[in-house]
Amino acid sequence: MSSGSHEPTEDSPESHYPGKLASIIHLFETLPEEEKRENLIAYSEQAKKHEPKEGETFDLEDVRKDEECTDTVGVFLRLDAEKRAHFRITLGPQVQTLTKAMTSILCKGLDGLQIPEILELPADFVPKIVGGHLVRIRSQTVYYILTRIKSACKVLLNRQRAAEA
Amino acid sequence: MSDSTSQYAHPEALVSTDWLAAHLNEPNTRIVESNEDVLLYDTGHIPGAVHIDWRQDLQDALVRDYISPEAFAELCSKNGIGPDTTVIFYGDKSNWWSCYALWAFRLFGHTKVKILDGGRDKWVKEDKSLTKEKPKYPATNYPVPAKRLDKEIRAFYEDALAQSQEKKPLIDVRSPGEFKGEVTHMPEYPQEGVLRGGHIPGAKSVPWKTAAKEDATFKSADELRKIYTEGCNLHPGEDIVAYCRIGERSSHTWFVLTYLLGYEKVRNYDGSWTEWGNKVRAPIERSN
Repeated sequence: MSSGSHEPTEDSPESHYPGKLASIIHLFETLPEEEKRENLIAYSEQAKKHEPKEGETFDLEDVRKDEECTDTVGVFLRLDAEKRAHFRITLGPQVQTLTKAMTSILCKGLDGLQIPEILELPADFVPKIVGGHLVRIRSQTVYYILTRIKSACKVLLNRQRAAEA
Repeated sequence: MSDSTSQYAHPEALVSTDWLAAHLNEPNTRIVESNEDVLLYDTGHIPGAVHIDWRQDLQDALVRDYISPEAFAELCSKNGIGPDTTVIFYGDKSNWWSCYALWAFRLFGHTKVKILDGGRDKWVKEDKSLTKEKPKYPATNYPVPAKRLDKEIRAFYEDALAQSQEKKPLIDVRSPGEFKGEVTHMPEYPQEGVLRGGHIPGAKSVPWKTAAKEDATFKSADELRKIYTEGCNLHPGEDIVAYCRIGERSSHTWFVLTYLLGYEKVRNYDGSWTEWGNKVRAPIERSN
């Protein structure tokens, strides 16, 4: 996997995204098409590394097969002592390569963020990473993992608010 | 060729995974992978196979249409395909997109085409070899086709409307829920921008999957005749139009009717439901 030669600066558009994600976005935006594909493949091949490890416990587990998704996806969310979010994700075998890649990118890029930061994150970074021509009809599930991560965050936030009320 | 394969009208249009594994370097032959998963080829493909993308390579970037004859000649030339090259297509999703690519090749008059029965899934399941190495072939000088065979094997909205009004066979190959108008998306897919659900008046529901076995290979000629000839009362000389949402699942059915059953006048309505279901004043029917 390539490493970016330039980090996002204070004024660059990537600076609006949280740190780790901003670096990934910046890297992809600077890559030529062929290398971008190679990096997406490399990320997709790492998706299994983001599955729950034996003995890990989570604050929220959301495993389901949605009617509009090709296979089962499980989102496992853990908050650490500083209420920073850490994700593990399981994917069924039918999930597309781009979705696998986005899973790795999001697990890495969103790691350690506060839940409100994740909920406020716009989805407009997806085409910046994937490239406009790969985000198209029949590859829209590239957005699905972000939606599921946000959904898990909302559920956990609501639970916390209910417990505090 | 197995006994069951030889019963098809054009058994030469199919190759088995075993045959292909033993003939990877067949002269004057090009293996082409076409998938729905845009990066699947890059993760590993059949040795020697080139990649043709249904959207980027076969469709015009600005108009909802296919590429020009000039662009098709260029696409073939750069992939080392000549007018006499036999092209063997395979891909994911039970060969939806490989049938679509094959149909698109036929639009440009390229007749030496075959499908790998069972497609990519069967090849992978049988643990046959895959490589990430992208082959380079000497460019050919593919002659620019004189025309696209739009009238012969492609139907447009007006053709599908006429087919409906004249009560000629229209085959809706989508899922039963889409046909009935209960859902506006494919099962297991997000919404693809269709305003209304239902089907073209008079269409018969014969989901594409009816023609495939669990391992993505095609059903036998006898089974296919029972489904289409007896079950739908379709006859080989009839004008038949097949459609789905964007023309890929109906390419699968088009291949079955044209090559496996030998029907001579089958057209694929590639505008399909994403055109019909959005078009102002297009009549639709719903059923329970």
